[in-house]
Amino acid sequence: MLFVMPYLCLFILMLIVPLAMGIRLSFTRGDLFGIKEFVGLENYARLLADPVFLRTVWNTVYFVILTVPSLTIAGLLLALALNRETRWAAIMRGIFFASFVLSVTVVTLIWRLVLIPNGGLAGVIAKAFGAEPISFLGDQNWAMLSIAMTTIWWGIGLPMVLFLAALQQVPRDLYEAAALDNASRSRMLFAITLPAISRTIALVLVIEIILQFQLFGQPQLMTSGGPNNSTRPIVLFIYESGWSQWQLGYASAAAQILFALIAMVAMVQYRISSRKESR
Amino acid sequence: MIRIAKPLFAFALALLTGSCADRDDRTELVIQRFFGACQAEFGNLTDPAQANGECGIITAMINQFRSENPDIKVVENTVFWPGYDQLNAQLAANGAPDLVTMHSSVIPDYKSRDLLQPLGPMLATEGIVPADFTAAARAGVTVEGEVMGLPMDVWATLWHINQNLFDRAGLVRDGEPILPRNVDEFMAQAAQFEERTGKPYLAQITARDFSGPMRSFYIYMMQQGANVFNDERNANFDSPEGRRALQFMRDVYARGYTTPDQDYTGSLATFLQGDAGIVVVGTWMVGELDARSKEPDSPFYHGYAVRPVPQLFDGPEISFVDGHNWVMPRDDSRSEAEQEAALRFLRFFAQNDFQWSRTGHFPAFTKIIESREWQSLPHRAAISSITRIGKPLPSFVRRQAPIENVVGEEAAAAMSGAKPVGKAISDMQRRTNEILRSF
Repeated sequence: MLFVMPYLCLFILMLIVPLAMGIRLSFTRGDLFGIKEFVGLENYARLLADPVFLRTVWNTVYFVILTVPSLTIAGLLLALALNRETRWAAIMRGIFFASFVLSVTVVTLIWRLVLIPNGGLAGVIAKAFGAEPISFLGDQNWAMLSIAMTTIWWGIGLPMVLFLAALQQVPRDLYEAAALDNASRSRMLFAITLPAISRTIALVLVIEIILQFQLFGQPQLMTSGGPNNSTRPIVLFIYESGWSQWQLGYASAAAQILFALIAMVAMVQYRISSRKESR
Repeated sequence: MIRIAKPLFAFALALLTGSCADRDDRTELVIQRFFGACQAEFGNLTDPAQANGECGIITAMINQFRSENPDIKVVENTVFWPGYDQLNAQLAANGAPDLVTMHSSVIPDYKSRDLLQPLGPMLATEGIVPADFTAAARAGVTVEGEVMGLPMDVWATLWHINQNLFDRAGLVRDGEPILPRNVDEFMAQAAQFEERTGKPYLAQITARDFSGPMRSFYIYMMQQGANVFNDERNANFDSPEGRRALQFMRDVYARGYTTPDQDYTGSLATFLQGDAGIVVVGTWMVGELDARSKEPDSPFYHGYAVRPVPQLFDGPEISFVDGHNWVMPRDDSRSEAEQEAALRFLRFFAQNDFQWSRTGHFPAFTKIIESREWQSLPHRAAISSITRIGKPLPSFVRRQAPIENVVGEEAAAAMSGAKPVGKAISDMQRRTNEILRSF
């Protein structure tokens, strides 16, 4: 008990106390400079009737659907392809991981320069082929897809590294035994590799779900939540409500809904993974 | 051991005494501003007359103040535009700076929470009184009868014109650009411009930055004689005037008379490359664009003109304006010396407001506008009518900054066709009223 006490104190101070304060704030009306009054569940009722907020919930879920499976599958495929001890594999691992260390400002700046229709790389390529440039960030059908693509490019390094670490833990003798039995590569993948790294797959899924639900910087810098509210995620809504509109209670209520949403999805994912494992 | 300890002790002592020698006992004045950072270009300049652009001139002015007031240690915080989120955090943590740049439109929010120190009495001791300010500057800085800051300027949206392209389009007469006087003339001239030059008539913000569509919408509503806000809890967007204004903006976009899908930087770049006839942007670009027009490789070489947004609707001659001000966050722990240093800076700025007005903004002081010095600056005669017709939103309208985002976002959605005009107007009204009723 004494051993974990320092961490426990920090955990309570830095996480539990702010969480409790946030929950309390969500039942009030006020701004950053003080609470005005207790309003009960009014903020939650307003949120559930607010079409802008409801759209941000869908935007966030849509973004998670677009990115989490893609990041997991692409990260796994890259790790499988680069899990070898050659110089080229090491270089490629470095290249794919490099984007992950960039800041969101740099990443969005690069991709905005690629995606803008007038003078952007995508526009130049489209024009070279005689096609009309697509307004990737200005068209509400393309905007979220573009942000998802940017995020996948940016974040692919993390799942790849996690999978690489897991792959290197799989005992070599299992593959040698399978090879003696003339097992095909796909058979080895499904019978040895994937079961052996199933815990890492679950970990990557949970990490990515939590990360991508917190989408903020990319739409703030690339689209400001537009066009027509099509890329505004919950965190940007919380930020705008709390800081720009001075509705701290309202923003706090939205934050509690996001917290519940992440916790729920992560728990479901965890339960599914646990059940599979126990079988 | 002693051999090592001695030099270590000596080193530590040297560090300690060294830091004592560097101690600065001067009064500290913390100034927080937007307008960008340009230390690389103007960091050593102490003569504002040698600088240009908002960033260059403010940097040189602060440098000049530093050099003339060596007894004050000026700490300059440059914030990402507009910097209010950072200021809010500082105010909530009781760590606000001494002086902050603030738009007139947001002063009422901070005043309503008693976060700013009224500056009227303090300025009066220096002989700076509201009667010296222009009407728009005075209206912008006065809330509930109290002068809340020192106005720096008044700014407005303008039409910056490429006269060379206008000439090609047959839209120049006696050296003056021919501008529309109503919506029908706008459409006819825009069509003529596009036909003869192959370029869009307007370059303007239509995506990502929502300030541009918001300003145009307010201007077109005001040009019809409408109040943009009915009272402190109700907007007036969902009105015939509001719908007419937004429908006009949509028609311009749908007919291809404006650059589509451009943010602030994109629309400005389009104009600088000579790919549009007019860029719709504020007073702050007058100085810089005029300087560009003197460069031989500029597409508007000796061909730059600037005018107020023309009156397109039947109504009073009017233009939406806002302004920049210096305000002082309330801080009970601020010493008399710090207060005096801040006042000295405000006096310095008031005395040098002409230099600031070289950016293109309108000076906040009537005597400067009436001066030959200001009137002889390039293009000022063409835009000086703004000082007469410029009108800010009433100070009872709070939360103008987030409302501007909502209005701009909905207006941009209607312009691009992502949302029907009627739906955009009703959503704009609903979302704005929700903000206005949230406090």
